[in-house]
Amino acid sequence: MELEEMKTLWAEMSVEIENQKKLTGSLIMKMTKTDYKNKINKILIPEAISSLVCLAQIVFILLNIQRLDTWYLLVCGITSIITLSLLPILSIKALRNMRSVNISNNTYKQSLLEYSKGKIQFVFVQKLSFYVVGILLVVVLPVMTVLLGGKDPFKGNSLWIWYPVCYLFYYAMAKWVLKKYLKITDGAENILKELDS
Amino acid sequence: MSSKEAFIKIIQENEGLIYKVAKVYAANREDQQDLYQEVVYQLWKSFPSFRNDAKISTWMYRIALNTAIAHLNKEKKKGNQVAISEGLVNRADPHDGLAEDRVELLNAQIKTLNIIEKGIILLYLEGKTYDEIAAITGFTSSNVGTRLGRIKQKIISQIKK
Repeated sequence: MELEEMKTLWAEMSVEIENQKKLTGSLIMKMTKTDYKNKINKILIPEAISSLVCLAQIVFILLNIQRLDTWYLLVCGITSIITLSLLPILSIKALRNMRSVNISNNTYKQSLLEYSKGKIQFVFVQKLSFYVVGILLVVVLPVMTVLLGGKDPFKGNSLWIWYPVCYLFYYAMAKWVLKKYLKITDGAENILKELDS
Repeated sequence: MSSKEAFIKIIQENEGLIYKVAKVYAANREDQQDLYQEVVYQLWKSFPSFRNDAKISTWMYRIALNTAIAHLNKEKKKGNQVAISEGLVNRADPHDGLAEDRVELLNAQIKTLNIIEKGIILLYLEGKTYDEIAAITGFTSSNVGTRLGRIKQKIISQIKK
């Protein structure tokens, strides 16, 4: 189908669409009020829940820090608190990068530029969060074993069984996630290249 | 006329424009519905800043296309959709009187284009001049011409495959 033929067909289609007008005034006004609820559901709730989970863990470790009675458990505890604090910050940063483009004033080109750059930054922050989780996994396991199980994991064998299990899972996730991120970044970089051409 | 009434009038007069943008950018009917609502919402939000010196369709295309880009971020973050109308959900595809396969081919060809090309072809098919396309997209008129040439080549090579 040539461009001119497409244009003719599009015009015929447009006439049919014009004949199918369905919007009433009340329906239009209803649509102007829907976005707030959607945004809360889509972004804020999952982010708020994960931040609260991190916060709960921080409070739990802080309240029981005196039970981490060796220097290595204390190091694990403090590192856990730092990484657990970092995760919500990174999450907020990722969300800021994903914030909507300036819909009212941008041109299409400007919006595409912002979208692509935002996407690349978002992937970078998400990757960083993923590595932080990797560190968290190392330090939080012995801390939780002490706080929930009451035993020093470094004095038994159980910890060394859990590490390979957790890291096998983490490795599988990492491979899948990084592959996915690479695809997103490639897509965004292609748009940037196309915009320059 | 109040601003609410003026807004309703503008949307009713141009609802086809919103429908076509949603059709080109959304992957499926549910997503199309979501994008349609989002465009109306963004138009309402931007309506107070609309200046009458700009052409209404230029303003609407700009908002609708920018919303479509922003919508790409939300595609995989679907929440509960607000049910607004059975009429919109069940809006028939506009090709009752047209050869269905031709419309399908047209949509299929547009879907093969990248996001930059989609915006340009949409405006071209809507009968916009190069200057109007340039004003909406931010590309220069000559660049719009070059890009349309490339789109034409791409479509021809698609047909040959």
